[in-house]
Amino acid sequence: MPNLPPKKEIFVTGLWKDNPVLRQILGICSTLAVTNLMVNTLVMDLGLIFTVCMSSLTVSLLRKVTPVRIRMMVQTLIIASYVIIVDIMIKAYLPDISEALGPYVALIITNCIIMGRCEAFARNNPPMASFIDGLGMSLGYSLVLIAIAFIREPLGFGTLLGFRVLPEGFVQWTVMIMAPGAFFTLGIMVWILKYFRPQTDEEKG
Amino acid sequence: MKKQVLSVIYMFLITLFFASLVSAVKLMNDKRIERNQTIKLQQIILRVLQIPTQEQITEEYLSRLFANRVKEIDVDDRTLYIGYKEDGQAIQGYALPVGGPGFWGPIQGMVGITPDATRVLGIAFTQHSETPGLGGRITESWFTEQFQNLPLFPIEGDKNIFYLKPVGTAQAANDLDAITGATNTSSAVEVFLNRELDYFLKELWGSIEGTK
Repeated sequence: MPNLPPKKEIFVTGLWKDNPVLRQILGICSTLAVTNLMVNTLVMDLGLIFTVCMSSLTVSLLRKVTPVRIRMMVQTLIIASYVIIVDIMIKAYLPDISEALGPYVALIITNCIIMGRCEAFARNNPPMASFIDGLGMSLGYSLVLIAIAFIREPLGFGTLLGFRVLPEGFVQWTVMIMAPGAFFTLGIMVWILKYFRPQTDEEKG
Repeated sequence: MKKQVLSVIYMFLITLFFASLVSAVKLMNDKRIERNQTIKLQQIILRVLQIPTQEQITEEYLSRLFANRVKEIDVDDRTLYIGYKEDGQAIQGYALPVGGPGFWGPIQGMVGITPDATRVLGIAFTQHSETPGLGGRITESWFTEQFQNLPLFPIEGDKNIFYLKPVGTAQAANDLDAITGATNTSSAVEVFLNRELDYFLKELWGSIEGTK
């Protein structure tokens, strides 16, 4: 086993240093899609956290027995199973949210962060470290989405979590409701981050 | 060769395991999901018929109220719901399931119509795959409440029952607010709902009158 960084560092790497959205620019599709309402964002985040952690854990547990040539099939199968479980659970216990999110829950399967973590980390590392890596990465994703939703929902709807935060006469920025609004918000965030913390040569790759 | 056989067996076993896991979770929650859907449908029918419900509704209360006040009838391959007033005799209105293509996928809804078929009692959208926060806002109350008391008449020529106009430009009584940023969903709703209401007035209404 190559020397593994301490768990705390693995966690912080995913959460901030190597943030999947801001640094790796992964999972953009869902970032654009769900962040115009905070409620949808939060449910999406929980679904993703569960799926990434459990998929990484499972892939890691099976890493020594899974034949290398079919590992991607196995990973897809594992990810899809967890996502369908999340979908069923939301339908059973949160029917209203399930209606609002519609097809997006099932689309968690195609979120590249999940398979990315399975391939890049979980298949070569022990279960606990993989779980923490998944947790860090998915929380990193969640934080960015919450930050974007925190800008988009008030500007687009004048509300936050459904409560009105801006005065009634506020002219809503329709562009913020639509996907381009997320593009602008995300772009500005990445820009600010790059300005204040340029990537070192070593990190570039 | 042996490696490939092993891979196939491994894939088979792991698929079997995960498929069973998913099936088990589905089976365990199937009843609950189905019940959620029934409750949802009953609530929507009662709502579009303007039959008031208690603040706190239990499942039992809902199914009893539904059984007392709503009757299902089949007219021309469609299932309609007749809502009765509290005395159980006089008709409160008809609930008509409507549907048509949305922007991303089919949209389904329910329209409540007065007993003389001249006005809309209420409307609700039950299923859609429109973008959450954009076209998905057709389910929000500010949108659906605009339809209450909308006058109904059979369409002749190109005069629609109602129009969806950009917010702030509505002039006539049957100009309703469209959803900002969801032009395609709004026009899809305008097209199929006008068609469905017209169909109700021209085809179904005669049959309902006939059964009385």
